[in-house]
This record gives sequence, C-alpha cells and structure tokens, in this order.
Amino acid sequence: MIVVEDLVVRLGGFTLRIPRLEVVKGEYLVVMGPSGVGKTVFLHTLAGFLTPSKGRILVNGVDVTRYPPERRGFAIIPQDYGLFPHMSVHDNIAYGLRVRGVSKGEARSRVLEVSRALGIEHLLSRRPGSLSSGEKQRVALARALVVEPEVLLMDEPLSNLDPRLRASARAFIKGLRFRVSFTAIHVTHDIAEAIDLGDRVAYMEGGLLVGVYSPKDFLKTPYARPYISSLEPVLKVLGAGKRRNVLGL
Amino acid sequence: MARWYRVEGFLLALATASSIMILFLLAPIAALIIAVDPKTLEEVFITEPSLSREAWLALATTLKASATSTAILVALGVPLAYLLARVSFKGREVVEALIDVPLMIPHAVAGIMVLMAYGRRGVLGPLTAGLGVAVDDSFWGVVAAMTFVSAPIMVDTVKAGFRGVNPTLEYVARSLGASWWRAFTTVTLPLTIESLVTGGLLSWARAISEVGAILIVAYYPKTINVLIVEWFNTYGLRYAASLSLVLVALSLAVFTGIRVVARK
Repeated sequence: MIVVEDLVVRLGGFTLRIPRLEVVKGEYLVVMGPSGVGKTVFLHTLAGFLTPSKGRILVNGVDVTRYPPERRGFAIIPQDYGLFPHMSVHDNIAYGLRVRGVSKGEARSRVLEVSRALGIEHLLSRRPGSLSSGEKQRVALARALVVEPEVLLMDEPLSNLDPRLRASARAFIKGLRFRVSFTAIHVTHDIAEAIDLGDRVAYMEGGLLVGVYSPKDFLKTPYARPYISSLEPVLKVLGAGKRRNVLGL
Repeated sequence: MARWYRVEGFLLALATASSIMILFLLAPIAALIIAVDPKTLEEVFITEPSLSREAWLALATTLKASATSTAILVALGVPLAYLLARVSFKGREVVEALIDVPLMIPHAVAGIMVLMAYGRRGVLGPLTAGLGVAVDDSFWGVVAAMTFVSAPIMVDTVKAGFRGVNPTLEYVARSLGASWWRAFTTVTLPLTIESLVTGGLLSWARAISEVGAILIVAYYPKTINVLIVEWFNTYGLRYAASLSLVLVALSLAVFTGIRVVARK
C-alpha cells in the first residue's frame, strides 16, 4: 500500500500539495487535472526524481521519502515511453531485471512471459525506432511490469496515440489487469481514460489534490463539468441527452 | 521538369562551393608534400643522428603530452560537461563563458596565463611544485598548456552530446532499479559515445597543434611544434617542412582511420 502524507514540493514559484492519498495494492488510480497543475511533478516526486520540502511517502509502512529512485520499487512510464533507443526491445524489457542481477537466462524467460501477455513477442528483436506508438506503449508497459514494481507510474501514457488507438489501448490495459496484477497511478487530462480505467479518480487543481472519488462520483463534481461539456457537441449529435440526465449532470 | 532543373542547379551550386572549399584546404597540404625533399626527410628522421634524435624525441614528447592532456580532459572535462548539461545552477552561464575563454584569446596570452597561475612564481606555483607537476620548462608545463587550450573543445562537444540525450531515459533507468552510475554507463554513455570520441579526438588534435602557449610555458622538453619553429629560424624552410609533413601525415592517418572504424 502506498500512502502519501502532507506532501509539499516547491519548484521555483510552483507549489504542489498532496494532503493525503492512499493507493491500495492492485488499485488503478487515475490522477486527473488540467495541464500545469503538477501531475507530472507529483509522479516525479513519487519516483524520487524530486525531493519534497515536507511530507512523507510510505510504501507498505516504510518511509521511502529520502530513498533514491532505484530503491523505491516505483517503475515510471513517461509520456514518450522512454524506450532506450540503442537497445533491442528484448534488452529494453530485460533492463530492469539485468540491473537487479537476474541472470541472462532467467531474464530471457521472464521477458518472453511478459511479452506473451502483452502480445509483443514478435517485436523482441526490433529497435524502438522502428515501432509504432501503440507498440512502443506496450513495450514500455512490459518493461515496467516485468520488474513487478510496487506501483506503476504512468505519465499520460496514451496521449501520443490517435483517438482510435487510444480507445483500443484503454481496452488493452483493462484486459491486462485481468491477466496481470499490478498497482498503477495513471496521470491524464482525458476524462475518458479516467472514467474507463480508474478504480478511483484523484483530481488536482492549482497544485493541490482536491479530492479522490469513484469514477461515477467524479462525474458529479463541478471539476468534471468542463471535461463533459467539451464532449457535448458529440453527445448532442448522437442524441445522448437522456444519458446525460441519468448521470445527473 | 522545371522542379528537377531547380534541384540540379542547387546541387551544382553546392558542388561548386564544396570544390572551392576542398581546394582551399588541399592546396597548402599539397604544397607541403611537393615542397618536401625526400633526401632532407631521410636526413631528418634517419640518416643524420643529431637531427633525427631531436625530431623523434620531440615527436614522442608531443604524443605523450597530448595523450596525457586528453586523458585529463576525459577524467575531469567529461564530468564537468555532464554537470553543465544536466544541472541548472546560479552562474552556470558564467562558468560556461569561463570555459570558452581559451578559445578566444591569443595562444601566447594563454601561455602567459598558465605561467602566471601554475608557474614557479605563479599563484598556485607552490602547489604544482609540491605535487611534483611544476610547469616551468617541464613535461607538465606542456601538458598544462595543451589542456588549457583544448579544454573548451572537449567540454563543449561532450556537453552538446549529453544535452542530446533525453534525461527521461535516465529517470526510467533509475526507476527500473539502476543506480545513478549504472544508468549513466548503460544508457547515457552509449548514447553519447559519438560526442565523446569526437570531443576526445578534436581536443587531442588541438593539443597537438598548440605552439604559442607551449613556447611561453615550457620551451623544454621540445614538442614537435616548438622544434618546427626552431628549425625554421635556424635551418630554414626545408628542414621545418620535413618535420611538418610528419604532423600532417599523422593527423590525416588518425582522422581517416577513426572515420573508417566508425563506419564499420
């Protein structure tokens, strides 16, 4: 279980404040909010790239606030996936295992196992530069999942995909959760991702975590309104007025 | 069709400019090769012991000092380049400008500065003497002068290389369990290797070519450049040209060799 307590991060003139946040094992938490509210700063602080000026980050009761990134057990997937361009897909996925001292043979079988689960077995000998955005996303997921992290930190992992691929990537992640158990904190400003993927939705505004909701309750908050109204033209054309009433919006 | 004509015209302009450039560079090299008398060359490097001993010794000093200078730059310049590329701190621009100073000042001035800092009567003279690396007319003086003038090339080239590597890759590597050193050696360094080799080669070449600063800091032990100047003044162009040819051949061999290896 991950607990964030009274976290304050100061970056120049910007201040991030997370009064309290708990993420239980196996949960998929989506952190939602407009651009520039500090979502990535939050992820980078959790990962250990930024040092908070106040507060604590606990992993299963252990205070990891001052731990270096490699000792936290948080695997990050950045927005551009961060695949190592000089390594094959296989070596990318095996990287976390190799730096942990796992033998070549053992690493190979675990890479194969996770690649099968993610349907990317056929890509193992390729270089990241030759992959499509969707393939890169799966490779990044495989690389992070293979080390069995305490929590997967995903920074807008679907934002580089076109809308059609985004929908299938969402379906893929949902399906993956049935096959592989993992805990995730997924940052996005896309309401469809938040509602579709999140067990809960944490909302941030102006550098502050304002609340954590179930996806359904989040839709009832005033914070969700701007996102829903951006969908209005589509809903109107589809004649979805009734559905909006059901949601009570 | 009209478009093709335009492209061809553009290529022709490129080819013309390139040919002039290559000819401009080639002419002095060709002139030197033509001017060198094979008999004098033989005399300088083989048959005349008084000359050949001095020539080989100077060449050895040059190679040893320039290699030492490059090694120092790898050990100290690469960390500095990484720091400047990755960490923003107050006064970074001033530090970067300071590093570039040797690029802009006359070589003799660079020599005077090195002497005033590390020479016997320099500010840090007692320190360099205490460490056994006194610079006045010593091998370490040659190394100091070479390092001073070639440092900006190494630092700037490698810094640009580090800046070209997305820092996110290092973050990802760390989050996957790699220590800072492991992330640096397995991710950043392989992606910067081209800049490191280029920086090393260019700074080594710059070190080899230095003469002005060396003349002031450490006339002895003589480097090949100092010897060329001395022989030009004492024996004339004929002997100086023979010595110069070795430097040109050396630089051509090294730069061609590296490119061939890099292509493979």
